[in-house]
Amino acid sequence: HGIKRTKVDAAAIAARREKEKEKLRAYLESEKEILDLKEANEWSEAALQLTEQFLNTNPEHYTIWNYRRDIFTKLVFVSWTPEDAYQRLVLDLRFTTSALKRYPKVYWIWNHRRWCLENTPSGPGTEPDSKGEEGIDGWEMAVWSQEVLLVEKMLSLDERNFHAWDYRRYILSHCPPSLRRSDADELAYTTRRIEKNHSNFSAWHQRSLVYTSLWKEDPSQRAPALDQEFELVKNALWMAPDDQSGWLYHRWLVGSGDDVTILEKEIGVIEELLEVEPESRWTLDTLVYYKRLLMKHRSEQGKRQLVEECRRSLETLCRIDPMRRRRYEDIGKRILEAYSYNVAYNIQGATL
Amino acid sequence: MSDQAIVPDRQQQLPIYAKAHISSAIRFLRQGLPRTGIDNDQARLVIGFYCLATLDILDALESASSESEKEGWRSWIWAQQIRGIWGSGFRGSPGAATNQPASSEYDPPFLIMTYAALLSLAILRDPLTQLDREGLRKYLKISQREDGSFKLFPTSEEYDLRMTYCAFSICSMLDDWSSINIPSAVTFIQSCRTYEGGYGQEPNNEAHGGSTYCALASLHLVPPSSNYAGSSALLTPAQHAQTTRWLLHCQDASETGGGFAGRTNKVQDACYCFWCGASLDILGMAQVVNADANASFLLECQFRFGGIRKDRVSNPDPYHTYLALASLNILSKDTTNPPFEEALDPLWNARASTQLWLKQRLHATPATAAPA
Repeated sequence: HGIKRTKVDAAAIAARREKEKEKLRAYLESEKEILDLKEANEWSEAALQLTEQFLNTNPEHYTIWNYRRDIFTKLVFVSWTPEDAYQRLVLDLRFTTSALKRYPKVYWIWNHRRWCLENTPSGPGTEPDSKGEEGIDGWEMAVWSQEVLLVEKMLSLDERNFHAWDYRRYILSHCPPSLRRSDADELAYTTRRIEKNHSNFSAWHQRSLVYTSLWKEDPSQRAPALDQEFELVKNALWMAPDDQSGWLYHRWLVGSGDDVTILEKEIGVIEELLEVEPESRWTLDTLVYYKRLLMKHRSEQGKRQLVEECRRSLETLCRIDPMRRRRYEDIGKRILEAYSYNVAYNIQGATL
Repeated sequence: MSDQAIVPDRQQQLPIYAKAHISSAIRFLRQGLPRTGIDNDQARLVIGFYCLATLDILDALESASSESEKEGWRSWIWAQQIRGIWGSGFRGSPGAATNQPASSEYDPPFLIMTYAALLSLAILRDPLTQLDREGLRKYLKISQREDGSFKLFPTSEEYDLRMTYCAFSICSMLDDWSSINIPSAVTFIQSCRTYEGGYGQEPNNEAHGGSTYCALASLHLVPPSSNYAGSSALLTPAQHAQTTRWLLHCQDASETGGGFAGRTNKVQDACYCFWCGASLDILGMAQVVNADANASFLLECQFRFGGIRKDRVSNPDPYHTYLALASLNILSKDTTNPPFEEALDPLWNARASTQLWLKQRLHATPATAAPA
């Protein structure tokens, strides 16, 4: 009984090994066939088919992606009608869509999509030009608007895929002007993603990017936006005080702490939260950080008070977040050192 | 209160299964990867580097391989040095080799492979006389873009902090920074910094452990004597504090934690134990890390029969194997009984003797004294 089982297992293992060997052999043979065609400067549809099959197995083979694009450049765009070339590109986009589902993080696939978009020929349809003649960007509009949908689909499958976020930023900045999203639209998109899942840090991050560029263009927009953002993030913090995303965003909003009104107000907001969740790590950690920023606005006595509050918070932190105990002890030491230095040399606003 | 008590069920840390990892690394070097590793075929050189570095860090290269084997590996690596219109560098494998003129568009040198090649050759104690230094300088120059970043290969659309780190490392190895524009490279690095305190791979990306390491190591590799005007490459005290904070909070504090995650709100992964751990070491904050918890996690990621996984369930691979060991090395070097023969230099990601070899072979005025 035991012997028979061993025999079967050995046979099964040997069979599996043979299968593996065969797969490897087929792979290497396919690779050689394609590279030989490339060597011979073969630019044909048949070669295109071969590369597609191969890339389904190994999408990281950058040389064969290159060869594929060369076939487009030397055959499709040269000898085919624009209509046929366009249809072929659409097929390529479809091919990479299914490849991305299996390999959502492979650079070469994302790059190939970019290339397809950028090489879409002008085609009939959509907006007439200034002379009232038929539009020439129908094909571009079709492929680019597809892209926006695709990348949003990818993001709903994996909201943290930074390749997809990157690609989204690329699409929105390079697509035909009529497809561009306004900043308001983009903010609304991030709001939807955040409402769906507060710990979608990538959505918070994207939000910060939109605002950064908005405020660079028009600094007057910053103050009113801040009010709204503090409200938004306060909700997130109350709903999920253990989630880092909202806390980091909050810190970004507070910035350097030069605006003492904002600083005092937000410290108040967070102390409210602390009453409800007295042992929340982020809450305490953030409070210590903000109180350190506040010290530069305070007199000697005010500073002393804050130092004491920080000391107590850090003590609690050592207890509830022992993993980072040494960090909190380190911070405590630095606060004390800076404060003593302050006192000894009567220095205002020394960095703590 | 000792750190060990923080994770109460892990009183006994597992040992490092050194023999198993050594035989695993040797097996990959001799036979290649299984079919599941097909998508790494173009990157053979860097996979080889992770295997060689594993042997180096475990002090096993001498005993585990013969001289003729090492000679074979050295020859294979040199066969990937290609010269052409873009200067000289190394490619990842001969998979793209053609009859066309060397380093055509199809077969360019890769910055990451060039970096890995030099370290691998140093580990193998190659005299490095076959290195085309002139070509390498030309290649570095061509690889840099106007915004200061470096391209993966000359016609590539990819340019991010990984390539910056490789370029800076290569300059350090050569002790020759003449072919790159340091100020613009530093500007690019700084433009990758996020409000979280870490550095994204490219501007606008989220902070990421790997690119944070690349940024910090690069900034600290810049020779202080370099004559470029403008602000210092290093972090301000406020930035230092913020980056330290972000890195430390990447450490998973749950009961089954101890390892580091790579981005905000992501899960722990053995490779980030190096990227984040070494970053903290570069910032001089390694003593603040809970090294015991980190070690507990990594040791549990080991596969009993060789290799280290990114977590407790995936398959092991050479990349995670080496980086896990490197993390253990970096975070244990100041303890009383470090389990490794030699400490890794966190900027070069190489052990001291390998670093010395490179300096002696490639620097104009080689260091003859033992490294500091």
